[in-house]
Amino acid sequence: MTIESVFPKVREIIADVLVVEESDVTLNSRLIADLGAESIDFLDLVFQLEKEYNIKIPRGQLEKNARGELSEEEFEKGGVLTAKGLTALKAYLSEVPDEYFKDNMKVNEIPMLFTVETFCKLIVAAVDAQSLKESFA
Amino acid sequence: MRFLFVDRILYSVPGERINGIKHITADDHYLSQDDNGRFYFPSSFVGETLGQLAAWNVMKSGNFTKRPVAGVAACATLYRPAYVGDTLLLESVIDSLDDVVVQYHSIARVGNEIIFTIDGALGPLLPMEDFINEDEVRRQYAELDRPGEWSNVSSMSLESLNLNPQRSATSFSFDAILSSDPGVRLSAVKKISRAASYFPDHFPNKPVLPMTVLLECQLNLAREFIKRAAFEKSYVARELRRIKMNEFVYPGDVVTCSLSVKSQDESALVLSFRNEVEGKRVCVMELLLVSDVS
Repeated sequence: MTIESVFPKVREIIADVLVVEESDVTLNSRLIADLGAESIDFLDLVFQLEKEYNIKIPRGQLEKNARGELSEEEFEKGGVLTAKGLTALKAYLSEVPDEYFKDNMKVNEIPMLFTVETFCKLIVAAVDAQSLKESFA
Repeated sequence: MRFLFVDRILYSVPGERINGIKHITADDHYLSQDDNGRFYFPSSFVGETLGQLAAWNVMKSGNFTKRPVAGVAACATLYRPAYVGDTLLLESVIDSLDDVVVQYHSIARVGNEIIFTIDGALGPLLPMEDFINEDEVRRQYAELDRPGEWSNVSSMSLESLNLNPQRSATSFSFDAILSSDPGVRLSAVKKISRAASYFPDHFPNKPVLPMTVLLECQLNLAREFIKRAAFEKSYVARELRRIKMNEFVYPGDVVTCSLSVKSQDESALVLSFRNEVEGKRVCVMELLLVSDVS
């Protein structure tokens, strides 16, 4: 499973959830800034993706993935990303252009960065993890 | 007029499931009248009752510090109206619950007959004090929480009695049609007045338009659309799909609704609705209507 292979279905689901035309949804589209997503849309989107791919995406999984090996304290202080945190976030969200990241970025601003590709990556990782889990079961 | 519909909680395991009842009686304020003059509790409000039942369970589970609000429902299926005389047996099952959101599904029955279901409902959890005082909501819960046997209350349904309230039905509709292209699209407007009877309960600290009121208005707008379209077939509403309320609507707001045909074939008509306030999407849904063969 690759980003390219999941993109058509993810695009269809995102267009459906955000009530926009599929043609408006590209890999680079930012969900909030470009497609008008609201917080309830993220809940809806995760629910639809879980159903479609038969996976579980725990709340805050994207932030957790971005944090990687860093502890919460190393990642953010008082709701603001540390320098290490910002570096980790940039590394994880490699699909997001550099100019969208800013110093002293707040944790609750992270969803502003999410693109369609971010969700494709999330699906690929979750499906791979699920397959791995099943092969050991 | 109260906008709290569950009459009694019969059984509840917080965070898991809850059963309750609602009697539909001539004392109910929110009643509509069908083409035969028979009074019924609007379908959207059966959905509201099920949502409130799930909410009682979730609020109890979180020690009344947070409350769920209407967000998303994948599908609500309307099997038949709930008439005056019916007792609704209500059941909500909590599929998942965390600090942020509840996911649940619900069924309303009259006796053994399913009359309404909700699938794939998602409700964001928000701080209770933003909406209602914690002590007040605890008092309301305590008043409803009277465990009992379902089998005892289900025999109370009075389906055969012709109980009609001695007053006019309440209408939930848009105020005016803005534009009409018969059989293709229709748009309408509704001004939200602070005087509406549901605001004191929905909610005391933050009056917002109940999503189900907006859904009922859209169902009535669909009837107006079908009347104007003069299709050869008659249609009956069967499923509300992909319902999503993504912004609160407040007193003083003006809601514009655009309805258009999404698809139509021999047996079914699908209408799509988009509601906006000041050009911003507040609620969307699709309505499946099927050919009425009765």
